[in-house]
Amino acid sequence: MLYALMGIGLSIITGVLNIPNFAHGALFALGAYFLFTLIQLLGNFWLALLLAPLGVGLIGILIEYWGIRPLYRAGHDYQLLLTFGLSLIVTEGIIIVWSPVGMSQLPPPILRGGVDLGITFYPRYRLFVMVAAALLVLGAWLFLERTRYGAIMRAGIEDKEMVSLLGIDIHRLFTAAFALGCVLAGIAGALTAPIRGLNPWMGVDMLGIAFVVVALAGLGNLLGSIVAGLLVGVAQSLVALVWPEASVAVIFGVMAVVLLVRPQGLFGIR
Amino acid sequence: MSRAWLVILATVVLLPIFVRHSIATEIWIFAIFGLGLNLLMGYTGLLSFGQATFFGTAAYAVGYLLKQYAINVVLALAIGVAVGAVSAALVGYLCVQRSGLYFIMLTFALNQMFYFVAYQWTTVTGGEDGMPGVPRPSLLGLDIHAPLAYYSVVALLFVLALWVMRRIVESPLGKILQSIRDNELRAEALGYDVPRMKLAAFVLGGAFAGLAGVLYAMLFGIVPLEAIGFVFSGNVVFATLIGGSGSLYGPVIGSFVFIWLSESVSAIWARWPLLLGVAFVVVVLFLRGGVVEAWARYRAWRHASG
Repeated sequence: MLYALMGIGLSIITGVLNIPNFAHGALFALGAYFLFTLIQLLGNFWLALLLAPLGVGLIGILIEYWGIRPLYRAGHDYQLLLTFGLSLIVTEGIIIVWSPVGMSQLPPPILRGGVDLGITFYPRYRLFVMVAAALLVLGAWLFLERTRYGAIMRAGIEDKEMVSLLGIDIHRLFTAAFALGCVLAGIAGALTAPIRGLNPWMGVDMLGIAFVVVALAGLGNLLGSIVAGLLVGVAQSLVALVWPEASVAVIFGVMAVVLLVRPQGLFGIR
Repeated sequence: MSRAWLVILATVVLLPIFVRHSIATEIWIFAIFGLGLNLLMGYTGLLSFGQATFFGTAAYAVGYLLKQYAINVVLALAIGVAVGAVSAALVGYLCVQRSGLYFIMLTFALNQMFYFVAYQWTTVTGGEDGMPGVPRPSLLGLDIHAPLAYYSVVALLFVLALWVMRRIVESPLGKILQSIRDNELRAEALGYDVPRMKLAAFVLGGAFAGLAGVLYAMLFGIVPLEAIGFVFSGNVVFATLIGGSGSLYGPVIGSFVFIWLSESVSAIWARWPLLLGVAFVVVVLFLRGGVVEAWARYRAWRHASG
């Protein structure tokens, strides 16, 4: 489900803004680190969980405004280089501000321990993450499908020129879409922190996975992102049971197979 | 012989006098790497963000053969080129199925796959520690252990690579690739098999990357895990862009600037990737078009001001 969340965020950014966002993984890591520090400052997990993604979103707005906006007319190569440069800056920034050594974050007291599911014990926090991520995915889906802003965003993916001709401020739309994508990355990062711990490079693996999800799903395809996210997640955990070392590589294997069979992606239109 | 070639030959000869030999060697290795990428990025319009895949795979494969079977240098170079080309053919076959943003993401994702294989397959690659102890045997009876001797070999191969790349770019295939870059639909309408041509560009670019990878492994005697990492892919994109992509000499200038830049800042501060990131952003926001264009603008400005 976390993969789906990352995929949707990236999908919105890539779809609406039409840029390859290589900083998405770094923003994911940033979400985790914000959570860590906010918990130390506020002593409250829930407040931190709410504020950390918003912080990432804020940074996203700054990035969009100062960095990406001048580059909409430049080629993908420059956009790629910019977001790649930003991801280096964020990663190194994390190392400087926090530390290069990995850190761990305990889940809040209520969510520690396991739940007896009858057949097996399951850590309570993981269960919470699953439910929370499912709700967020549902929320994102409702937002994009059922609200006016969501409709504008979807329209922005389809046809930017038309949207701006209809009198909608395309720049504000871009900023909003980028910020939304960043918030989703931030949430995913914050939720992941208590499971896998924190390290400055935690975003890199996630970035690759998010790209796979988007490549499988098709840009701006929400339902596709969810299915692809689940598919990747399930494939990974199944392989992890029998051959743990290969569990990351297998994700890319899944992608390769899908692309061989269906070059347009699972739900791709383009 | 044109002026550009004279400048390059002069630089090749003079560089080791002014720069540490290992850095001078690295510059030309990186330039070979950049030449390959430029064929994809500059001439075919395919932004590959996974060149380190071919570079690293070749470096690991040949490094392993050099260590375990003590193959000779000529064979090592040939195998490196072949491994680079084959891995590029595999990756390229998948990637050319898609275009635009998908293409970029695929090259990156597959790069990640190779990275994780290298990371996990510790018995061969050494995982995070890299593959140490890659020997540098003698070349046709010549001892190339001395830094300057090895520099000469690399520089010679670079000049050869540059010449080959020029032949490729000016060949019919090169012209077709450029027509794909300029107008893919029209190239297709003219009857060219566009995916196959793209794949050909991939294989050629991969061969250059493979050559560079082997030279790199023999230069440092180690294949670090970073050699197959995506940051490495990003670096070569950056180097090619600052030099000016789509011009034959762009990546050469770019790797010059890039290696010099990264060697000097990495000596100052351990957190130098931060400065590198800042450099990326600054170049993108203010110096688009790279050194070649900045030079042209400077000349136009001088011309205008008298």
